[in-house]
Amino acid sequence: MSEIDMAVIKPEMMKSYIWLQTSDGSIQQVEQEIAMFCPLICQEIITKGMGSSKNSAISLPQQVTPSTLSLILDYCRFHQVPGRSNKERKSHDEKFVRMGTNRLCELVSAADSLQLRPLVDLISRALARKIEGRTPEEIREIFHLPDDLTEEEKLEPLKNITDDPRIRLLNRLYAKKRKELKERERLKNVEIEEERVDERSVDDLLTFINGNDGDSKAVKTPKNKKKNRKKKDQQKNPSLKEDSGPEKKELNGHDTCDQSSDGNIIGETSNLTYEEDGTFSPKIDFDDGDMDDGIDPAIREKIDREVEDFARRINSDWAERMQDFLTSGRERTSTLSATNGNGYLRRHA
Amino acid sequence: MRREQVQPACLSNVEPDRISCLPGHVIDQILSHLPLREAVRTSVLSSKWRYKWATLPNLVFDNQCLSVASQDHSDIKNKLLRIIDHVLLLHAGAINKFKLSHRDLIGLTDIDRWALHLTRRSIKEFVLEIWKGQRYKIPSCLFACQSLVHLELFNCWLKPPSTFQGFRNLKSLDLQHVTLAQDVFENLISSCPLLERLTLMNFDGFTHLNIDAPNLQFFDIGGKFEDIRFENTFQLSVVSIGLYLNFEINQNRLNGGSSNLLKFFVHLPHVRRLEVQSYFLKYLAIGAVPLKLPRPCVDLSYLSIRMNFNDSKEISTALCLLRSSPNLQELEVLARPEEQNVLIHPYCGEDEYCSCPIMQLRHVRIDGVSGTKPELDFISFLLLYSPVLERMTVKPIASGVTELMKELLRFRRASGRAEIIYQESL
Repeated sequence: MSEIDMAVIKPEMMKSYIWLQTSDGSIQQVEQEIAMFCPLICQEIITKGMGSSKNSAISLPQQVTPSTLSLILDYCRFHQVPGRSNKERKSHDEKFVRMGTNRLCELVSAADSLQLRPLVDLISRALARKIEGRTPEEIREIFHLPDDLTEEEKLEPLKNITDDPRIRLLNRLYAKKRKELKERERLKNVEIEEERVDERSVDDLLTFINGNDGDSKAVKTPKNKKKNRKKKDQQKNPSLKEDSGPEKKELNGHDTCDQSSDGNIIGETSNLTYEEDGTFSPKIDFDDGDMDDGIDPAIREKIDREVEDFARRINSDWAERMQDFLTSGRERTSTLSATNGNGYLRRHA
Repeated sequence: MRREQVQPACLSNVEPDRISCLPGHVIDQILSHLPLREAVRTSVLSSKWRYKWATLPNLVFDNQCLSVASQDHSDIKNKLLRIIDHVLLLHAGAINKFKLSHRDLIGLTDIDRWALHLTRRSIKEFVLEIWKGQRYKIPSCLFACQSLVHLELFNCWLKPPSTFQGFRNLKSLDLQHVTLAQDVFENLISSCPLLERLTLMNFDGFTHLNIDAPNLQFFDIGGKFEDIRFENTFQLSVVSIGLYLNFEINQNRLNGGSSNLLKFFVHLPHVRRLEVQSYFLKYLAIGAVPLKLPRPCVDLSYLSIRMNFNDSKEISTALCLLRSSPNLQELEVLARPEEQNVLIHPYCGEDEYCSCPIMQLRHVRIDGVSGTKPELDFISFLLLYSPVLERMTVKPIASGVTELMKELLRFRRASGRAEIIYQESL
């Protein structure tokens, strides 16, 4: 039975229309039963009595443009018919989401603002399918995402969510490291000769690190000492923690010398990383190496070297201080093993 | 690669990045359709995406977390441990669901630590599957978690502390391969007032099931028990019970005494779907089986029973059920092959089939028959008294049972539309 027939034969069954206003201000008429499929529109009609005339048109959220509205209405028009089989609905939905990612994002935003959950779910799944199993570059290309993370950020997703002072210190260290790297980059770009100079200095570092066995031993010993230190720390931990709050705040205030903040970091990193080998590795190891997918292997090597270098510098600083500590005074050990550990911290203040 | 400068607006070849501006809950929904590993990996996409994963409401740690299958179990264990620690630490916001189910996961004490952390994050759904090793003792902190709505445990040992007050908000409980004491079980069920779904499979430590749950709607158990009693379960609509124990019946209880069937149905007035599996029909057949239940099961529309056709008491029980279910539409009868020479109740032939009601059956399925007289009588009875039957599928236990086929062809059918499909077992 066509609409015309119905209108003639049973006027009381004539379809009623609702007026909707989209984000660009234009107003259109839509069959009520289709529009009512959207919970937001339904609510507006029932609780506020809007939409019955052009003057009282329901003004839709700003995410709903005329084109997205027509797509949404197509979706509603198909699904509000009760007699369709699950197979039919599924096949319609599969065809429905075949569009560009930008359109899908627009559409999901509009559907969400209208509280049309089935459509939001459908598009979310479609978008998830576009992300799943792809490399970061592919995903960036599909969704036009800017590649604006530095290599360090890609390696170290640590965030100061809980405003933990230890993390704040770490972040400051990272920022410093990033600045240094930036400096190096800038110098590279400014002068080409400088580029070569830089490379050489990195090579120097490389040979210094990997060169003689003596050197590698030098690298190792601080770590061993750190291990022993860590055991002591862990014994003291329960007691340290009680006073750790106010003490650390004190330290943050003090940012007097770099060494002090570095030194305290060491004590704290042992708590953070839970690892015996002493290297910084706060990244999440879902298959080590997978997170580096987007980086050039040569650059990745360079970054690895720099991070190692950084860690080694920290460890070596600490090792020096350890030497100082061990040689300067045995009497200090008694204050160290005291329950509040104030002795240790005062030394750095 | 250095940090890129922000693109000036005049460069028109830059396509807009629409996905990063979607509202948080929509991004959560998109990421929740990805395995956890892929969702966390989005943190390297761009600066806006660094922490979008951290508000994921559902955390599922399963075999997909570690793609590399290593031979070294301690290596896998350590990796998994680190991953879960890191994810839980970096996660922000409420955690709705936590699922831990890795095939190499042997009960770690770290689970206690994670459980404590999760109870502080108002967790609603907790799923723990210990695939290997002995039963894992559930930490007491989990018993104090009042935000739980769904609890699912596999291969665990439940021993709540004496301060356990029940789970006020628990609606769904799924326990499989669990150990708990009798009083613990009863206390658990009765102290969860909102419980709607209960699944219990392969349990030990208790043998008497007293189910006191006023809001229970779905009940699915399979295990070894001695008796089952419902109390105050008037909302139960889907029931599936499997008794995996072929018990010896005390001869005194055989024909005299109260009927288990009657006792069973007293508290199930609104049952819609009923599955009687394994030896449960034998249990129901104990006692004096009535011809018909005092109160018909008007809502019962699906019935599946596993029956021993050589035991006439079981057939009587099945017939009693059929007589008491005026609106039954789907029936499935699975034959339980038992030693044929052990005839507890010799089959009385057509005497069983007195007072047969007209049934509303539309679809019938008979499985595992071999063409014996009791089976044929039963099938013939069904065909004669089901005027609206649309399809009957018969699957014999062995192929080439031509006698059965011949008989099926011969039977009179009350329904002109009935299709009889003989499914050859391959």
